[in-house]
Amino acid sequence: MRYQLISCEVLFREMCDAVARSPHQVDVVFLSKGLHDLGGKAMRKELQQKIDAVKAGQHDAVLMGYALCGNGLDGLVAREVPIVAPRAHDCIALLMGSRSKHAEFFEANPGTYFRSTGWLERGKSGHQLSMGADLSGTNLDELIEAYGADNGRYLYEEFTRYRANYQQLVYIESGLEPDGRFEEAARDEAAEKGWAFRKISGSLDLFRKLIHGEWPEEEFLLVPPGHRIAASYDELVIRAERDAP
Amino acid sequence: MADLEELREAILNGDARRADSLTREAIAQGVEPLALINQSMVPAMDEAGRRFECEEYFVPELLLAARAMKAALEPLRPLLAATGARAAGKVVIGTVKGDLHDIGKNLVASLLEGGGFEVIDLGADVSPQKFIDAVTNSGANIVALSALLTVTMPSMRNTIEALKQAGLRDRVKVMVGGAPVTQQFADQIGADGYSENAPSAVALARRFAGSAA
Repeated sequence: MRYQLISCEVLFREMCDAVARSPHQVDVVFLSKGLHDLGGKAMRKELQQKIDAVKAGQHDAVLMGYALCGNGLDGLVAREVPIVAPRAHDCIALLMGSRSKHAEFFEANPGTYFRSTGWLERGKSGHQLSMGADLSGTNLDELIEAYGADNGRYLYEEFTRYRANYQQLVYIESGLEPDGRFEEAARDEAAEKGWAFRKISGSLDLFRKLIHGEWPEEEFLLVPPGHRIAASYDELVIRAERDAP
Repeated sequence: MADLEELREAILNGDARRADSLTREAIAQGVEPLALINQSMVPAMDEAGRRFECEEYFVPELLLAARAMKAALEPLRPLLAATGARAAGKVVIGTVKGDLHDIGKNLVASLLEGGGFEVIDLGADVSPQKFIDAVTNSGANIVALSALLTVTMPSMRNTIEALKQAGLRDRVKVMVGGAPVTQQFADQIGADGYSENAPSAVALARRFAGSAA
């Protein structure tokens, strides 16, 4: 089989590992993490363009290296080639290995901020363009330079108020790390923001299954040509709907 | 004569101090508070909203304009109270249970305040019961629900259901928003309105306040 993977760059290392070991031929396109910050509509548009560029006869399926991601996948249409998408709300579930693990963790640990290799090396966004933007890189000096002392300070307070809502930063270790640098960076970030630090073991299971073509119904949605992805707001997260002309 | 155009510019540019001093000058010169609001402040916020929608302004500029608007409103409050003018409406706002994201919600709250609404901000991770209590205690006529996660969007439905069961649903208009929320979802859960961004949330609240009056 030959697959086309369309993935968020935040999952770069995990995907590359799975691709290298796959029994299938997998072509890969990574898209900027910035898409996530643009919100559902803009993200969907960009993803649809990439999906439409995949032609039947060349590829047997399009694999989405995304979760539902703020409804960024809601409405994506499989035209000629089937789409396979993991049933998960966000990439934290992918990194943990299952959405039930994520749900349990989420329930037991509200106020958790997550980090992984991808979030650390590719996750920072330069500008607060949208409400969904990652504000972790907010810098007082830059804001003062751009907006003056008074307004810069005010914006800094506004953009860092969220920190009070979180208690801990959790680093999800994939096991692919070359050394301790990522854990260290996460530890430093937690200290800087005044949060507790914790490390948990992630899982590469969902990446492997996606890329190796093992798609149990419970974990992956198969979208046949002529159908689209729809958020289902239930246990299964997403469903396939016939794409009305 | 006070320069209403200059006040509009000060708000639009997020210059809170200038907005405050221009308002005080205008009051000293005997300009009617409602003229200041209708001819400078509301047009300034409308323009800020327009610029946001066509991506000339981003979240920082919008926050700063709302801040300047609030600064300009402050010296007017005692005068407005004396004339018996009421707030445009009373809004209970919060991010729904399970969701800790509040930047968007804060922005909407700021813009609503700037737009003359009385805002009761319940913060983030707000349970349905807290919304019920706040509506009961404040007599608010609008409830604004925010969510940034698809996983917490069902909490919006639960909150609306809880308002129904508490017998409050007919007393309030419910508006929903947040990055993953759509008009379709708003319809599905029986919300009265949805807005795609913060400035149009204010326009929506104004429509609700108008229809309730």
